[in-house]
Amino acid sequence: MSEAVLSPAQLSARHLTRHFTTRVPGRFLTAKRVVRAVDDVSLDLFEGRVTAVVGESGSGKSVLARMLARIVTPTSGELVLEGSPIPVRSKRTLDYAAKVQLVLQDPYASINPVHRIRHSLERPLLIHGANKGEVETLAKAALSRVSLDPPERFVDRYPHELSGGQLQRVSIARALCVKPDVLLADEPISMLDVSVRLGILNLLRGLCDDERLAILYITHDIASARYIADETIVMYAGQIVERSRGTALVDEPTHPYTQLLISSVPDPSDPTSQDPQKREHATFEVANVGCRFAPRCPFAMDVCRTDDPPDFIVGEDHTSHCWLHASEPEAAVEVAPPKRRREGEPTKA
Amino acid sequence: MSADTFDIQAVSPMREGPAERKGNAVANVERSEFVLEVNNFSVDYGVGENMVRAVNDVTLHLRRSKVLGVAGESGSGKSTLVYAMTRLLRAPGVISGGSVTLNFTSRDDEKEFTTLNLVTASEKELRKIRWSHVSIVLQSALSALNPVLRVGREFDEVLKTHRPDMSKAQRRARAVELLTMVGLNDDRLARYPHELSGGQRQRIMIALALALDPDLVIMDEPTTALDVVTQREIISELHDLRSRFGFALIFITHDLSLLVELADEIVVMYAGEIVERAGASELYEAPRHPYTLGLLNSFPPLHGPRRELSGIPGSPPDLSDLPAGCNFYPRCPFAMSRCENEAPALTAIENSDRSVACWLHSSDSSVPVPVELSRTVNPARNPVTTLKERP
Repeated sequence: MSEAVLSPAQLSARHLTRHFTTRVPGRFLTAKRVVRAVDDVSLDLFEGRVTAVVGESGSGKSVLARMLARIVTPTSGELVLEGSPIPVRSKRTLDYAAKVQLVLQDPYASINPVHRIRHSLERPLLIHGANKGEVETLAKAALSRVSLDPPERFVDRYPHELSGGQLQRVSIARALCVKPDVLLADEPISMLDVSVRLGILNLLRGLCDDERLAILYITHDIASARYIADETIVMYAGQIVERSRGTALVDEPTHPYTQLLISSVPDPSDPTSQDPQKREHATFEVANVGCRFAPRCPFAMDVCRTDDPPDFIVGEDHTSHCWLHASEPEAAVEVAPPKRRREGEPTKA
Repeated sequence: MSADTFDIQAVSPMREGPAERKGNAVANVERSEFVLEVNNFSVDYGVGENMVRAVNDVTLHLRRSKVLGVAGESGSGKSTLVYAMTRLLRAPGVISGGSVTLNFTSRDDEKEFTTLNLVTASEKELRKIRWSHVSIVLQSALSALNPVLRVGREFDEVLKTHRPDMSKAQRRARAVELLTMVGLNDDRLARYPHELSGGQRQRIMIALALALDPDLVIMDEPTTALDVVTQREIISELHDLRSRFGFALIFITHDLSLLVELADEIVVMYAGEIVERAGASELYEAPRHPYTLGLLNSFPPLHGPRRELSGIPGSPPDLSDLPAGCNFYPRCPFAMSRCENEAPALTAIENSDRSVACWLHSSDSSVPVPVELSRTVNPARNPVTTLKERP
């Protein structure tokens, strides 16, 4: 959708990792278990591009968004904002918050129900140093940007007077108030009515095209990712298993997990989506050694149970974290973090 | 799908023989081909000035062993409809009209067909049919299961209450059998709900619903909170179970594409009313109501070129402030002047077994039907295959 010469990334994540330690009570001793919620994830968000992260619940996609917003501190890895590294261990600064904004899943829960919409929009403006005199104009301008017209009709309403779709627009307007460069949207449509979802997706796409925002769109719905994304990333158990530019990943999935995900989507126009042999039983086991998907993978080989695969190139701007692609002649080379790959890449959408 | 499957004109056959009245239940009647008949059913929230009509004049008939899909957005009245139908609706919900008739074979005497009007049935009568003949699976399995009881206790209590003659060992055996049916290992019986994943909990709910071999199972968004992969597994599990036990199913969801795969017949609800009723593949291939068309176009496709979709403009309706005419009028791309003031009724479309509530399809309409809403089903290229076809 967007055709652009790539400028340097607005926000980059390098080897971002977050482990949570949980305690498992045993008979005599309490054992510690480490949950690798996000493991060595690198990605770049460019201006004027939508990057979609697709995964099931528990795949670590929300933790990733929260690390990018610096609400959750990474265990290791680094963030680079507009070329300058961010000390991730320190507290989030106001400046960072002004550049990177997060929109949450549930608009009913993320907007204060006891205040008018005006309050929710003016408060971030005041915190970020706007003049008292101009906040009202800016708040109204933000509402217009998300197509809540006329803004006068909405500023003095309470959240319960608006529908879910309108509230999610308010939530996006609130994020836009402080003029961020990067918008992180964590499942922005999953709580909304079917008929208004497309409106929000089109709004995000428009913000990206017209205002050159860098958008991270997190979802469990791979069809919606295909609809708006310029780059799609599939996560499984904290790792990126497949990524591609454009729609290649959905049209020709190469990782068995992506294939499973796509074949599971109800799709009346595709008779093979109802193939009964696909109902193998899900194990929720995540392997500690080797490929994490191996216990569920129909193609698992010996090497999958012992060694974690690297990212193999399977097509133009398309990598797959799977040993199945090791034998392909041009793919035998291990691909290092995506940044290296990006430098020489042709600019094509 | 054969044409006679959805013949709604045929209301239940005339009953003969010495019918016998037991309270609200009429026993020993002719076996009806419908398991559930809902006629002109309306439900309100509140009374007096602040009354809001959540379900308005709904009529549907469900045949034995068939799947009826109910699609609609939040606030369309789909959940209220089934809660009221099964008399689970709590105040301020009030059933304000209509009847709901359940036709079933009484357990006391295997050969005795009974029909019961659920709207007027007493608590005692309802207690007899609940779970044994009608069971329900709710959206949130975590809140439907008691968090301080092991899963096995839930099975035990149901069987103990409804089958007092079963021994403890028999109850346990039945619980294991039910778990195996839904693809779970019997060690799950000793687990607490929080130890299970969302998909496993929903399987437990389905197993519980089937515990007493009901005639009708109602599922209210059973897979909405689940991942697509788990959803796919549960749907195929459900398909298997239905072909083995032949229960009728009412499946409520907002996901129209899921319904097209699962259901025999689909009703689409908007603002408390049925706006379209058709066989699943007809509805998918040739929608007749602008709202159905909008819903179908609201799901981005997985194939084909990427193009901008528009969804449905505007906001979902506010039930306390509905338009004078057609409820969908303010959002409808094909709205005419007539739609503003006159509400269309659900009418059968000529030469078909489907019906729609839209002036565009009225026989005295002067406006030609838009091409999007007049597509025909091409039987040669019917993409909806046979997940629901049973031997």
